[in-house]
Amino acid sequence: MPTNQPLPPKENTLFKRILKCYEQKQYKNGLKFAKQILTNPKYADHGETLAMKGLTLNCMGRKEEAYDYVRKGLRNDLMSHVCWHVYGLLQRSDRKYDEAIKCYRNALKWDKDNIQILRDLSLLQIQMRDLEGYRDTRYQLLVLRPGQRASWIGYAMSYHLLKDFDMALKILEEFRKTQTVKPFDYEISELLLYQNMVMREAGMEEEASNHLNTHDAEIVDRLSIQEVKASLLMKAGKMEAAAKIYRELIDRNPENCAYYSGYEEASDPASPEERLKLYQDVLAKLPRASAPKKLPLGFLTGEAFRKRADVFLRNGLHKGVPPLFTSLRPVYKDPEKVKIIEELVLGYEQSLQETEYFSPEDVGNAEQESASVLLWTHYFLAQHYDFLNQTEKALAYINKPIESTPTLVELYVLKGKIYKHAGDIHSAVENLDEAQALDTADRFVNSKCAKYMLRANMVKEGEEMCSKFTREGVAAVENLNEMQCMWFQTECAAAYRRLGKWGEALKKCWEIDRHFTEIIEDQFDFHTYCMRKMTLRAYVGLLRLEDRLRSHRFYFNAAKTAIEIYVHLCDHPVTENEEDEQANTENLTPSELKKLRNKQRKAQKKAALEKQRQKEEQQKREAQKAKAQDPDQDGPKEEDLIPEKLARPEDPLEQAIRFLKPLQMLSSDRIETHVLAYQIYSRKGKLLLMLQCIKRGCAVDRNNPQFHECLMDFLEKVKSQGDLASPVSSVLKQSMEVIYQGKDTRAWNNEYLEKNSDSLPHVLTAAKVMYKLEPKSQDKAVVLATNLDLNGVTIQNCTEVLESLRRGDLGQCEAEALEYEGKCHERFKYATAFMGQGGRNHVHEHIGQSTECNHDHPIES
Amino acid sequence: MATEEDSVDQEIEEGEELEKENKGKKVAKHDSGAADLEKVTDYVEEAEIQAQQFANAMQVVSDQQVKEAARKLEKEKELSKVKINKDDVDLIVREMEIQRSQAERTLREYKGNVIDALMALTN
Repeated sequence: MPTNQPLPPKENTLFKRILKCYEQKQYKNGLKFAKQILTNPKYADHGETLAMKGLTLNCMGRKEEAYDYVRKGLRNDLMSHVCWHVYGLLQRSDRKYDEAIKCYRNALKWDKDNIQILRDLSLLQIQMRDLEGYRDTRYQLLVLRPGQRASWIGYAMSYHLLKDFDMALKILEEFRKTQTVKPFDYEISELLLYQNMVMREAGMEEEASNHLNTHDAEIVDRLSIQEVKASLLMKAGKMEAAAKIYRELIDRNPENCAYYSGYEEASDPASPEERLKLYQDVLAKLPRASAPKKLPLGFLTGEAFRKRADVFLRNGLHKGVPPLFTSLRPVYKDPEKVKIIEELVLGYEQSLQETEYFSPEDVGNAEQESASVLLWTHYFLAQHYDFLNQTEKALAYINKPIESTPTLVELYVLKGKIYKHAGDIHSAVENLDEAQALDTADRFVNSKCAKYMLRANMVKEGEEMCSKFTREGVAAVENLNEMQCMWFQTECAAAYRRLGKWGEALKKCWEIDRHFTEIIEDQFDFHTYCMRKMTLRAYVGLLRLEDRLRSHRFYFNAAKTAIEIYVHLCDHPVTENEEDEQANTENLTPSELKKLRNKQRKAQKKAALEKQRQKEEQQKREAQKAKAQDPDQDGPKEEDLIPEKLARPEDPLEQAIRFLKPLQMLSSDRIETHVLAYQIYSRKGKLLLMLQCIKRGCAVDRNNPQFHECLMDFLEKVKSQGDLASPVSSVLKQSMEVIYQGKDTRAWNNEYLEKNSDSLPHVLTAAKVMYKLEPKSQDKAVVLATNLDLNGVTIQNCTEVLESLRRGDLGQCEAEALEYEGKCHERFKYATAFMGQGGRNHVHEHIGQSTECNHDHPIES
Repeated sequence: MATEEDSVDQEIEEGEELEKENKGKKVAKHDSGAADLEKVTDYVEEAEIQAQQFANAMQVVSDQQVKEAARKLEKEKELSKVKINKDDVDLIVREMEIQRSQAERTLREYKGNVIDALMALTN
């Protein structure tokens, strides 16, 4: 050992014990031994002991002391690989991976063949996906320890990840040959299945098939082997054999839809009748399975569909299956089938009301249905009409069972949902609150209610609702953050954003971002664990999942919100004293404005008090933290997210780019990514980066309305550019020719309008561009955008039109906006978005009455 | 010496009990799933496989490693031969907001032609 402070035998024994204690997580004992060495004045400065003491303290959560001891230890013994190794481990635990790698490299300078350091280095390399570095380190480990199986597997895996399949397979095969098989050897079984996976990824299907046959007896995971065999047989065109295996798999689990599609493909039925027969054969053997009853409804048509749907519906209604509609949702793509279902269920309704049978022919031939069957029939019809956006009918149908059975939770949940779809979120909240009160122990309904509250911008109420299920003694929001409850945080961010509380909204977005970082960090421990347990297929699956982690829609949504807010803050910075919230004061009357100001003053007072309280609490908490840091918390302490600061970023666009990068890497197939990127880079004035967004967007969905706006904007921008650095202008010139083919903005916009003249979102964009290019065309643009006789006339799209009118995207047009609002109100009676400012409550009462009326008059169907 | 060893052992025993207690508390605090998770970071000695004739396999392995390294070196050598203009690199860094090393590499890959490099980077 190249240390300059060798210990005598007794102390050396103690030191070895410290190491052992660290490995076995017996930190207190470790400290004791360290103390025994360090209290001897001769060895009070012993570097390695000091370093180990620090490392142990780190594991006990005493971070600051840990750094002190480790640094002191290193200073006392700069030639010790132990000290460097320990410093690396400490950095690693703080996720400073680059620093840690440097430390390991220093340690290896003093002890180049140290297995433990090489292992730790390889862990960091795989964590950071330095695959080539990983391979080289694994090679060193293999040369040093050819007797260890982890050496072989790790080295093979490094080639697999680098997509050098031949080499990976060669190493795996050599290694396999050294293994002796015990009976029911799970690890060998996993190794074989991993080997097979590499073969299939290499496209060696025949070899993979032979491999499975050779080792069939050694593989204990029968499900996996069957699934792999079936797909290999199918690829090889051996349909009969494949069908047989799929059939066995269905017997094993009759609810896995993938098996049925495999079974169908392998059996290749010639007609719908034969296709149906496949399912009926399964049903004959497994009469209780539900997938074979449901799946044929997807491909059957006409009378055959009617017959099967009839059976399916009656069965579901008879049993009172609440998600009956949900299981039929996929069928609703086909309007013909929707009509058949409607006829059938309306038929039941009438017959049940008159005779308590599903149909008049059943009278005397079958059992009488109970009263609850009519209830579920109404429940189904309400969902049916809700799906078709026929709010009146849906409400009428849901009100009937509510009247007869006012204690059934599902009914209120559905009624709330109908209101939500109709654009009246406040009535939706009322109903969900009712549902939640009926069964306060139902967490699903509780969460739904909280979600609706957040949609209605009732953040505080939403939090309180959630607090019924969060840990006691901690604020609900904190607990939900700790639990990585991302749906809640996403909804909060959206609500705060609508309220103009930019800082609060950004805080939620950053919290979500941190969850993703956390999940990526969490894989670290599994690099060792999975190799040891030989769960290699799952391990590779994990690595690939983590590689694409931020493509998850939770991240996408949070990033989109954050970017849009940062872009807004770039255009409208929040000043030093200004309150975070920026109510939209432009559309208020003087008296309303006065009220608002009063409210704001009160709120400010309250906020000041609240702030004071929070500050005190914060101080208390910090005092507590200083006393004892939670040893469970690993990783570095992160910077606090303070809304006031977040709302006033120095560099909003750079912050936005931090959210954008993962989207560009992982979600480049989504057009929104390129629209968002364009919004950022156009504000930075970076022409080539804008060009990048345009090029990528064109490849994804050139016709997208938001993207069309970018396309037109870019063309105008480039046209108005003066002299540029010459390489930039040549790149632009080359690319513009390809993208725009020499046509100008007006020509493109007209073409776009013509091509999409029947779709509201497209027409709105074209109208905006038209006005921007030529303000004189305002009248024409407004007429185009306010046309309600188009596809895509939804509450959301119309709200967007209305906002555009109010915002002045189409010039000054207050009268037109008012008129449009009225027209939309006629069309979407329940939607609060078209009820004018402040008029909501009034109209709301009115609607209450109108639904009341529906009770009295049976609706015609 | 012996007595000291004894006292150390005794201390270990006490300590071990303490640790055990702590662990027990932890398990009670979390559910069993968390306890399993805890095991993930446990230290386990690597199992040695029986010594075999690895010579053949090792030969294959090291051959490949050497070839690999040679190929990589050659490519790097070729790239480093390409002459690039500092102004071009500056322009790429400024316009595309990427790291200098990446800008240099791309420029080299396109034989120092700044327009080709920019065209590729805007894709």
